Amino acid sequence: MTKPKVEKFIVPIGPQHPALKEPGNFEFTVDGEIVTDAAVRLGFVHRGIEKACETRNYIQDMYMLERVCGICSHVHATAFVLGVEKLAGVQAPPRAEAIRVLASELERIHSHLLWFGVAAHEAGFDTLFMYTWRDREVVMDILETLSGSRVHYSVNVMGGVKVDLDDKTSDQIKKGMDFLEERTEYYMKVVTTDETFLGRTRGIGTLSRERVDLLGAVGPTARASGAQRDIRVNAPYSGYKDFPVKIVTDETGDLEARFVVRLKELYESYRLIKEILEKIQPGEITTRMKRKIPAGEVISRVEAPRGELFYYIKSNGTEIPERVKIRTPSLCNWGTITDVAVGHKLADMPMLLVGIDPCFSCNDRMVEVRSGSQTSQIMNWDGLRKYGIEYYR
Amino acid sequence: METSELLESGKFLLEKWVESENTPEENRLDIWVSTTNFKSAVQSLVENHWGYLVTITGMDIPPVTDPDDNTQPGQLEAMYHFANEAAIITIRVKVPYSCPQIETICDLIPSATIYEREAMELFGFDLLNTPNTEKLVLPDSWPEGVYPLRKSFTNLQDLESTTKEQTND
Repeated sequence: MTKPKVEKFIVPIGPQHPALKEPGNFEFTVDGEIVTDAAVRLGFVHRGIEKACETRNYIQDMYMLERVCGICSHVHATAFVLGVEKLAGVQAPPRAEAIRVLASELERIHSHLLWFGVAAHEAGFDTLFMYTWRDREVVMDILETLSGSRVHYSVNVMGGVKVDLDDKTSDQIKKGMDFLEERTEYYMKVVTTDETFLGRTRGIGTLSRERVDLLGAVGPTARASGAQRDIRVNAPYSGYKDFPVKIVTDETGDLEARFVVRLKELYESYRLIKEILEKIQPGEITTRMKRKIPAGEVISRVEAPRGELFYYIKSNGTEIPERVKIRTPSLCNWGTITDVAVGHKLADMPMLLVGIDPCFSCNDRMVEVRSGSQTSQIMNWDGLRKYGIEYYR
Repeated sequence: METSELLESGKFLLEKWVESENTPEENRLDIWVSTTNFKSAVQSLVENHWGYLVTITGMDIPPVTDPDDNTQPGQLEAMYHFANEAAIITIRVKVPYSCPQIETICDLIPSATIYEREAMELFGFDLLNTPNTEKLVLPDSWPEGVYPLRKSFTNLQDLESTTKEQTND
């Protein structure tokens, strides 16, 4: 009698998938419906920005680095500028630092709302997706009024910022924050009480505090598991020294906790923005800074919407950096997916993936459902999403 | 704990293996260790739960020829950044181009695999016993032995034209 052959059934998803807007590849090994292994393949939109930094001067680099990401563009420029300013021994004026924080928090709001919409969409809750993206327009309009641009605000310059607040903009921001606060109350209610939504999030993808440490998770993903990890609090930078934030954590560590933490962070952002508008002091918004940066090396860490963003910058005393290393938050949260996915249903994968708020420009990726046997099955992201929704119907 | 106390406690854990050290910023401590002691140093931090691994930064130190025609061979440096609140300890290891071998730390810190794969691909480190050596960011068709973040690399077209010139010769 021949022994039945043990075959692995691998489900590859991506790299091209219509639902997520950028390419990435995931491979889930499944036993029936249960995922037994997960792997990631990145690099489909690798652009070699670190190398490109070594051929451009600091000012050009700042504008280029802002384009690492189309969602959290401001934090990249801020991390770089803060590092270079530290190397040059320049301190931006307090008003400039406050405006940097203001832009960071506005960006966090737009990023969290964008994520919330995408997550609702993956759960098959498209009404919620439409609502959040409509509300997100409020903050996008504010960013446009403030800087003239919706996506790459380019608020920073070396030694300060180039946009200033006036009464009219302040008014618009205040009104916007009030409106969004009210809307967030509603979203909080949906996330914590809606049965269909809870069915997709409660008790799913639970990440323990120990695993967070071991896997090096950052941002809301880590904070949802009770880790006190927020660079704005642990190592206050820029205007966060004058305008401290409260750290938001949750103990349960499941998908629901990740929703709750992000929504609570929105409240904290609204509060901080209103405080800045109230307390911001008049004054200069730039200082002069030389183009040549003294030799040395610096580490600059900031809290992006997705977690800790890390920059290492080495200067050789010229106008061009010797080395720029970027570690984006999505990259270290990837480890949690391959860890948490095991033992879950394939139908849970879209929500699990979206739970860490993966950013494709931070580090690109896709999902592939591959089969060793004849019953090969290729699933695109849309297919997987529909599969998940059907499964839970 | 204060940042300075955290750095002190980290320094105490690593004392045995330190070859040289530097404090580039007040919240940082850079420690150079030899490749043989490297893993014990990392293990000491991990076992005592001193912070978490932020990332591995690779650095290329190209060969230099001084006026007397003495050539300093090219080196690669790996920096393992560990963060504990505001404190950052960087464990630094230097290896020559000819033998760029460093022990993997994936058995201690599983999430390091992604940074190790990046270091192997972009700089050509040889990470001994690392669990996954597949390509992470570069295309599958990328030529073997070409490491884009080394200073000698300009772009693939340059590489092709130099090989063409060589074959024409």
